Amino acid sequence: MKFHTIFRYEFRYQLSHVSTWLLFMVFLLFGFLILRMVRLEDGVYLNAPGTIAFYTVFGSVIWVVIGGLFTGDAATRDRQTRMHPLTYTLPVSKLSYQGARVLAALSLHVLIMLALYAGMLLSFYGPGAKPQLLGPFRLASYLTNFGFIALPTVLAVTAIQFLFATLSGRAIASYIASLVIILFSQFGGTTVRYALEWKVLGSLMDLLGTSIIVEMEGWTPIENNTRLILLEGTWLWNRIVWFGIAVAALLFTYIRFQLAHVTSGATWSDLLGKSKASVRPVAQTQEEASRIRNHSTSRTTIPNVTRNFVFSTYVLQTVAIGWASFKAIAGSRAGLTLVAILSIGTGLFATEYMEWFGVPLFARTQEVLRILAPPLSSYQTQWIIIPLLTIFYAGELVWREREAGLYELSDTTPVPESVLFVGKYIGLALIITTWMAFLVVAGIINQLVMDYYQFELDVYIRALLGIQLTNYLLFALLVFVIHVVVNQKYMGLLVALGAYGYILFASMLGVEHKMLVFASDTGWSYSDMSGFGPFIRPWLWFKFYWASWGLLLAVIAILFWVRSKEGGFRTRLQLAQHRFAQHQGALYTALALVLVSGGFIFYNTNILNEYTTNEAKMEMRAEYERRYGKYEHTAQPALARTQVKAELYPDEGAADLQATYYLVNRSKVAIDSIHLSIVPDLTITGFTFNRTATPVILDEELGYRIYSLQKPLAPGDSVQMSFQMRIGSRGFSNAGVDASVVSNGSHIDSDDWMPVIGYQENRRLRDERDRQTYGLASRPERPSLYDEAARFDTRHADPMDFEAVVGTSKDQIAVAPGALHRTWTEAPSSGSGQERRYFHYVTNAPISHEYAIFSARYAVREAQWIPAVTAGSDSTAKPVTIQIFHHPTHDANVERMVKSVQVSLAYYSQEFGPYPYTYFRVLERPGPGRGMHAEAMTIDYPEGYSLMKPDPGGLDLPYHIMAHEVAHQWWGFRLAPAAVEGTGLLVESFATYSAMQVVEETLGYEHLLKYLSQMRQEYEVPRSRAAPPLLRSNNRFMNYRKGPFALFALRHYIGKERVNNALRGMLKEIPAEPPLLTTLDFYRELQAVTPDSLHYLVHDLFAANTFWELKTENATAKQTPAGTWQVELDVEAWKVTVDSVGRETNIPIQDWIEIGVYAPRAEGEPSAKVLHLQKHRIRSGKQTFILNVPEQPARAGIDPNHLLIDLEMSDNVQKVDI
Amino acid sequence: MTLQISNISKSYPTGRSTRVVQALKNVTLSIPNGMYGLLGPNGAGKSTLMRILATLQEPDTGSIRLGDPSTGPVIDVLKQKDEVRQTLGYLPQEFGVYPKARAEDLLDYFAILKGITGRQARKEVVEALLRQTNLWDVRRQKLGGFSGGMRQRFGVAVALLGNPKLMIVDEPTAGLDPAERVRFLNLLSELGENSVVILSTHIVEDVSELCTRMAIINKGEILLEAEPLKAIDGLQSRIWRRIVEKSALAQLEREHKIISTKLLSGRTVVHIYNEEDPGNGFEPVTPDLEDVYFSTMAGHIGNRKPQVAL
Repeated sequence: MKFHTIFRYEFRYQLSHVSTWLLFMVFLLFGFLILRMVRLEDGVYLNAPGTIAFYTVFGSVIWVVIGGLFTGDAATRDRQTRMHPLTYTLPVSKLSYQGARVLAALSLHVLIMLALYAGMLLSFYGPGAKPQLLGPFRLASYLTNFGFIALPTVLAVTAIQFLFATLSGRAIASYIASLVIILFSQFGGTTVRYALEWKVLGSLMDLLGTSIIVEMEGWTPIENNTRLILLEGTWLWNRIVWFGIAVAALLFTYIRFQLAHVTSGATWSDLLGKSKASVRPVAQTQEEASRIRNHSTSRTTIPNVTRNFVFSTYVLQTVAIGWASFKAIAGSRAGLTLVAILSIGTGLFATEYMEWFGVPLFARTQEVLRILAPPLSSYQTQWIIIPLLTIFYAGELVWREREAGLYELSDTTPVPESVLFVGKYIGLALIITTWMAFLVVAGIINQLVMDYYQFELDVYIRALLGIQLTNYLLFALLVFVIHVVVNQKYMGLLVALGAYGYILFASMLGVEHKMLVFASDTGWSYSDMSGFGPFIRPWLWFKFYWASWGLLLAVIAILFWVRSKEGGFRTRLQLAQHRFAQHQGALYTALALVLVSGGFIFYNTNILNEYTTNEAKMEMRAEYERRYGKYEHTAQPALARTQVKAELYPDEGAADLQATYYLVNRSKVAIDSIHLSIVPDLTITGFTFNRTATPVILDEELGYRIYSLQKPLAPGDSVQMSFQMRIGSRGFSNAGVDASVVSNGSHIDSDDWMPVIGYQENRRLRDERDRQTYGLASRPERPSLYDEAARFDTRHADPMDFEAVVGTSKDQIAVAPGALHRTWTEAPSSGSGQERRYFHYVTNAPISHEYAIFSARYAVREAQWIPAVTAGSDSTAKPVTIQIFHHPTHDANVERMVKSVQVSLAYYSQEFGPYPYTYFRVLERPGPGRGMHAEAMTIDYPEGYSLMKPDPGGLDLPYHIMAHEVAHQWWGFRLAPAAVEGTGLLVESFATYSAMQVVEETLGYEHLLKYLSQMRQEYEVPRSRAAPPLLRSNNRFMNYRKGPFALFALRHYIGKERVNNALRGMLKEIPAEPPLLTTLDFYRELQAVTPDSLHYLVHDLFAANTFWELKTENATAKQTPAGTWQVELDVEAWKVTVDSVGRETNIPIQDWIEIGVYAPRAEGEPSAKVLHLQKHRIRSGKQTFILNVPEQPARAGIDPNHLLIDLEMSDNVQKVDI
Repeated sequence: MTLQISNISKSYPTGRSTRVVQALKNVTLSIPNGMYGLLGPNGAGKSTLMRILATLQEPDTGSIRLGDPSTGPVIDVLKQKDEVRQTLGYLPQEFGVYPKARAEDLLDYFAILKGITGRQARKEVVEALLRQTNLWDVRRQKLGGFSGGMRQRFGVAVALLGNPKLMIVDEPTAGLDPAERVRFLNLLSELGENSVVILSTHIVEDVSELCTRMAIINKGEILLEAEPLKAIDGLQSRIWRRIVEKSALAQLEREHKIISTKLLSGRTVVHIYNEEDPGNGFEPVTPDLEDVYFSTMAGHIGNRKPQVAL
């Protein structure tokens, strides 16, 4: 009865608050809007159980952050309002008192989550819903997600919040509980699961359900639409564990909680909040008390000090308040420790993330900074703890005097509001500065752990104490102002969290202009080559702009600062009016600064540069297609030769380019007009032709030009076209600055700047739904493998001669495709100029249309490769100069790169034919990526590649990558297949498979296995099984993993030579005229080299999306009287194909599959001795094999080398029981 | 130094509906140097007035001026809050402390906030105040462990920082034991020698012992503004007493204007206000300040008198 009464009172009390209803509204709207805005994978319904599960988890994360205050309030309201002497003495049991309250909080939380579901339902079935995106209504989709995801989460979180709040006596502790839960469950769970690979523990730690989300990445659309999250497997255990934790937390709270007088500090708040410490009542003795009376008439003189209220007094007051505020936060348990622990942990666990595919990385500062200095708008980082703690502590500081109850003492002191505001802000700023210092320490620990000893303290200081600190301080200022202006602690917290959420998700909400997202900027990065590069100037302007806003907001906060508990709107307005006169100078200054800086930025982003939203960009692409798509098949001349004169000015970040195109009509019809696609908004001037041409269309906005030739270009005839342009940023745009030309490490990519002949099909919108939205006809993302017409598009395969003269500053080397003819320096044309250096390059064999011009202060490592002259080989093969242009200090991998290039050139030219050029160049450029990029005769790589530091005896990934890129000179440039589905198999899979052979030849088969096992790990990442067959390969995973694995498997069935014959066959088939080759040609080559008995395998590997499910159930062995061993193997085998939406078909097996038996691995041997390894005929289902082996076996199983695609690899081989 | 309060009104919304509670109605007072007592029952509007004087609240109408036009600048209390705070000492009715802070450190912190910037001067002032409030021996103790009285004395020390010319003390003696109360009132009277000290209280003794001037306030209105001694004089031979059994009280109430009743050894002492001898067993008593207070509250003297007299 009492329980019921308390519960009802508590519940109604919370419902009587506007903020409660506000929260309901927020979640209702969230559920409604997010499912109206979201864009799902093709074929997945909006109301699919998988979708609902995803947004249940998403919603609960948001709820954990913002919704936890009921618990805190329910747990501590009596104490905080000092009503507890009344309530605690009521004849109510502890169980009723606390139980009813926690139940009331829990009920409200459940209602909030129900509001989320109501929002979802409204979104699905309310006005404006799109029934075509919905599947049938299924109650179980809602019940299972709510019951198995949301409800247990809410229960456990509420219990933990209640524990924190009750034991600390402070409602706000439930917010800290939320932070701890998020850190533990999200970042802790993810770290344990992936970085440490303790999968089960990591999954158990995941309270909120992110592990389910990750697993769902591997779901096919059908699974998303039908599969329910049920209590099974690890998830069952997860829920049991968290239910146990919830019960334990409640029990512990129950036991520790006393309905008794609260002596400050007698509780647990040590662990969480502020206040406590050893505060013991101070008793004045009887003696002292009597002395009071005795001396009561005596006079102690108080020195009469003169006080001057001048600027220096205010400075001292500001410092005193700042320091006191700093000490208050620093002294609370979570103030410095959370960030310190996280920093130290981040440093100590460096080896877990400072690696790439198992290869350790050099802990160069530029790389470490990527971990430590995420943008404020990034939520995929553990450092969101910094903004979240900032929000919390800003509230604590603003409310410090009022919560301690001495605001009437402090508010009547002669301290101006501005001093109070600035002083407290300085206190928080000092805390954030300390946090940043922790981050510096984290970086240094990271480098120590990684055995890297070049500590670039100056870079740390500039990045963390310069850039990051500024960002966090601006954010702190905003949060501070919010707390002051809202003047209600929990509402302030919610509003501040809302503001943070806006910063995080602004881009998703469609807010793109950086001037509209507080504290944002156009981004920055640090590079050893180009330093902070050109990013700092716009960064500074944006920060100046936001600091001006900060000043403006601060003045407003000072005007509305409340000096007592009462803060009625009218009173505050009245006070603001009184204070206005005093602060109007600052206010107008701030306004002026906002206008000046904002005006300058707007001038740069919207006037000097075109400001285009994503939507506008999409519209441009759509309009480009609508207007000029009709020219897609209009005959155009081919670009046969390009001549460039480039003047690079690294210090100005600019370059002048003059180019001449030699266009040849290779078609069979006369061409009467020349079409050009130009980068939109790039100003190209001085178009001239060497025959009369008149512009018909000059569309600067979409970037399309048509020049009509007075006299049509006859087949075989040619025309010259010249133009010029200036590369470089005009000021800065909303996207920042273009980093093509920088002080060191310029990289001008032809694709980014140069005009292209004809209509560019690849500019079109690809996504089917986008095309619908913009009213474009349906068209596949890339042309179908069976699209005959697409095979006639040869533009990407056209050969082109190239010549360039590149000038740059005197201390840099400029590089372009071709042999270096000459290099010279030129004196400055005017007195003030600098001496410049020039390079002249000419190709001696055609290259492709994509090329780049580089310039930097490079160190050059040069080597030679001389082709072996063997009988039958091309005797005209010329020696090749290998040049590695690298940043002088990035030299660790240079020798292995040279070696890899040499052996690759040797191997490929022997296997696949001669290398056509006399140079092979590899160039470094600024950037964090690790992959290389191949162009004809030129490979470039971002600095990230040079970070790899293979362990001696470990996987030599840089060697492999280099070999892969060299292989592109054959696969990609010599063989340029049709741009249709499956191209990736012919380009990337071939290159990888070729590189695997180089690795095997030079580093050994063992090393190759190491590579393969590393690459196979990607199979373990959850990935939908739904996919097209390899012949229609359309993604990275298929191109770089599945394709090479299929070739590798086939090689183990038919032999290396036959597979290479098929590859060579492709080169022989290269046609002089279109149509270009496709994977269908390769499939024919494969069938030609494969015996009929294995044609099924070629089909399964390449023409179907096949998965084998192979398993060894049991392996036993006994010794025969002859001394040999008889092994009995129970294996199970199944084979399924999965189509692109996830429909599975069982295929009966009649396959040849390897059965292997292995001896124990001997000491010091890299691998176990093979006792038996043969292909056996396997049928579907369970079967038993009996094998005789000469020695005692240790392990045995089916497909031990994982040749066939089997997602569960660990059960192929079992230990043999004797 | 004079504090001139003119026509101050203040009302609060009641939470529900549009009705308001009138906390202060047209209060006008003139307060010179010395101790000034503001006497009234709980809820009379004392604290509201004190908080307005202490710059913590805004009145709806009226003005307050501090200073003597003849000797120096006059401060508009409502507008020049910073200037007021520079000469203000305020001891609120109840207040908290940072439980972890030590008395000496927190007092030093307040000394800075009060504008005492010199390190040495601050040290001397803090020491003197801690000695004067008898907290010197516990200066290194944490405030969280202080008793109510010690905490109150700490508040006094804070209020006294910087030799305030305007001292506002809101019901200071409520939580003090008799010895502490005496000590505290002594401190105040010393200060009152050249400052304006306003003491709000519902305890008549506080005023009678200390104050040279006083006002009685009820329901937001000033009922009487007087010097205590003169007010007592004014009641000479108008207060009559009779000791009766409790059962006789009802009868007496119908016949006389009772201003107060009090228990004495189980019987009831009744005071009535009457300008002539009421007879009926009443005997004359020498009036005290309590009689002034109750007579005022009952409407026999002070601003409400005319109405009641009708």
